[in-house]
Amino acid sequence: MEQVQLHDWARYTPVQRFQRYGLFALTALVVAWALGSVNIIWAWVWDAPTQMGDLFSRMVPPDPTHLDQILSALWETVNLATIATALAVVLALPVAYIAAQNTTPNALTLWLGRFILVSSRSVNTIIWALLFVAIFGPGVVAGIVAIMFRSIGFLGKLLGEAIEEIDPKPVEALKACGASHFKVVLYAIVPQVMPTFFAVAILRWDINLRESTVLGLVGAGGIGMILQGAIDTFNWQEVSTVLLAIIALVVAGEIVSSYLRRRIL
Amino acid sequence: MLKITSLVKRYGAGDPVLKDLDLEVPGEEVVSVIGSSGAGKSTLLRCINRLVEPTSGKIFLNGTDFTRLGKRELRVGRRRIGMVFQSFNLVDRLTVMENVQSGRLGYISTWAALSRRYPKEDIRRAFELMERVGIAHYANKRADELSGGERQRVGVIRALMQQPEILLADEPTASLDPKTSEQIMTLLRDLARELKLPVIINIHNVNEAKEFSDRIVGMRYGRIIFDGLPQALTKDAMNEIYAGVPHEDRKLEGAAA
Amino acid sequence: MSTAKDTWRKRPFIANPLLRYGLYAAIVVYVVTTFATLPIDWDRIAQGLSRAGRIFGGAFPPSFQRSELLIDGFLESLKIAILATVGGIILSIPIAFMAARNIVPLPVFYVGRAIIIIARSFHPVIVAIIFVKAVGFGPFAGILTLIVYSIGFVAKLLAERIEEIDPGPVEAMKAAGAPFLSTLIYAVFPQIMQRQIGLGIYQLDSNLRASAVVGIVGAGGIGATLANAFGRYDYDFALAITMVIVGVILISEAVSGAIRKRIA
Repeated sequence: MEQVQLHDWARYTPVQRFQRYGLFALTALVVAWALGSVNIIWAWVWDAPTQMGDLFSRMVPPDPTHLDQILSALWETVNLATIATALAVVLALPVAYIAAQNTTPNALTLWLGRFILVSSRSVNTIIWALLFVAIFGPGVVAGIVAIMFRSIGFLGKLLGEAIEEIDPKPVEALKACGASHFKVVLYAIVPQVMPTFFAVAILRWDINLRESTVLGLVGAGGIGMILQGAIDTFNWQEVSTVLLAIIALVVAGEIVSSYLRRRIL
Repeated sequence: MLKITSLVKRYGAGDPVLKDLDLEVPGEEVVSVIGSSGAGKSTLLRCINRLVEPTSGKIFLNGTDFTRLGKRELRVGRRRIGMVFQSFNLVDRLTVMENVQSGRLGYISTWAALSRRYPKEDIRRAFELMERVGIAHYANKRADELSGGERQRVGVIRALMQQPEILLADEPTASLDPKTSEQIMTLLRDLARELKLPVIINIHNVNEAKEFSDRIVGMRYGRIIFDGLPQALTKDAMNEIYAGVPHEDRKLEGAAA
Repeated sequence: MSTAKDTWRKRPFIANPLLRYGLYAAIVVYVVTTFATLPIDWDRIAQGLSRAGRIFGGAFPPSFQRSELLIDGFLESLKIAILATVGGIILSIPIAFMAARNIVPLPVFYVGRAIIIIARSFHPVIVAIIFVKAVGFGPFAGILTLIVYSIGFVAKLLAERIEEIDPGPVEAMKAAGAPFLSTLIYAVFPQIMQRQIGLGIYQLDSNLRASAVVGIVGAGGIGATLANAFGRYDYDFALAITMVIVGVILISEAVSGAIRKRIA
């Protein structure tokens, strides 16, 4: 009878085990460094739950006295987001066109398009808002321009990718018909990009609605300004009213945008 | 009348895809170009309307040298050449009517194209052609809702809407089943007769080529090695076209005759 | 003589003409009234362009003189991002399970979903302000904020992943009589682990970006440095900080993309 060799069974080979432990140790090391060196007063950390409970108790019940102002500021926020998104959509089209490898006229325009998109995307809306409040002063203009600048990068990147993914065959066919460049784009490229265009525009509008709620905190208009005012005056009950209004707005925005997406696509 | 002289197409430093090619298509006839893959059939067709840029040589269509046209003149010139593609090359999301009218994009104004308000004459012509091929009831359907044969018919109409002086078809039936294939070939032949149009068809199926064309051109390694009536296409000729080495290249290849 | 039609119109997207023109009218009314009522100070805008010129003039060249401040701010943001990601992931796992219809009973599911929705509804800046008021200025508020932010994202996607798992292994374990926790570890975890790690890395990148922003309202990190610079009209320093932020974001995006591609 044959001797059956009994082996030790292990989930990972020694090398793999070494790698896993190594990775784990590295992560633990990094976390420990962060934890050890971060500027926290640990006494406050233990105190935190009490503090938060205290704050929460001061926020209930929500105070509806200035509800009319809050609602009109909410409406202003919606308009801010909508107008800014609409303008950004229009401006993003040419940028997407030159940032797509198959439609850009030359290497320079490709680089320019990509540069515009990357800069726009990498700077957060709020930082743009800081800049434009400095330029245009507090108010909705700064907010609209800030949202525009950030949205162009988001929209342009996704639209550019959609343009790069089109089927080139209809383009070839229409060139063979003798159509001008503009008409080729109009008939062979635009219809292929349409679904993505709408999906992305609606998505960005939804995101911008959320972003617009906080622009007021740096002075760029919308309901954030009322929120900031309430916080500065320690009117916590009004703060919670504003927060509830914001949740309602965000939820409504999600409902509208998923409805539109379903209808159009 | 199409006259091609000394056409050469070379990609990079390797062997040219088209080697010193001469071809004359005098008038209304259906010419089928046959040959194995890589023989240069597709390149030849695409050089005529310069979708592929010839390296050297001349291409005359009714007196105009296409190889010398600038960008704008080329666009005008391309209106005179209709092309039908293997993959139909339609705009899937647009309606059949829009696809058909896109053949007129070289003629209509930008506003008409943008607003889809096509000239009455064009619409009438489109409906006539669509009824002729049996797809008039599809005018408002999206192109991707049609079957392969129907889509190719749309492609053919699109090319005819240009009122071209010549029709090029690059493997128009390769994506179709045999029955539909025959329908399309019949259509091309009949339309060529009715409209007195010269038609050049790239085709794989030699039987279809023999049945539907007035003349057969056989290519091999970038050269034309057979040019004659379908009846003259013997088995030996076929072997030459599909497996042989052109006379001029044999000295280079050192292959036995 | 031709009996063919000579008119054709493309079927419009909204077939009902009443609805279509009604919609056009509504849009026109909306645009006109909004522009009329939106508080736009046109003079300020005109001035704005010359102000912009001054600001950009003052911003070039970017000043890296106070680079220790910059580095401190950046490191603090990095620590906030790391701790928030770790904390967020640790908390996201149980919450994700609570929000997965196929694992927990219905009432628990509703609670789990509610937690995620609340975590997502508020912009991190708002959450940051609340935490700053509750626990004071500094990175602790930032960490708490980004933990909430992470939960909103990671727990949601993880819950969706959990709901998509193959029920086969779970069934098999239950049939073998395994207790709940063991079933989780052997049948569920391996199916979600890859997604989990991918999400973790994406979230680290995301938190790094967000930490720059929450700092603006006092939650620590480089955002605070930036807000200070703006407040003191140190535009050249502000530009330097912004360039660093953008650079870090780009590097982080590239690294996280590369890592996620390798483990995919």
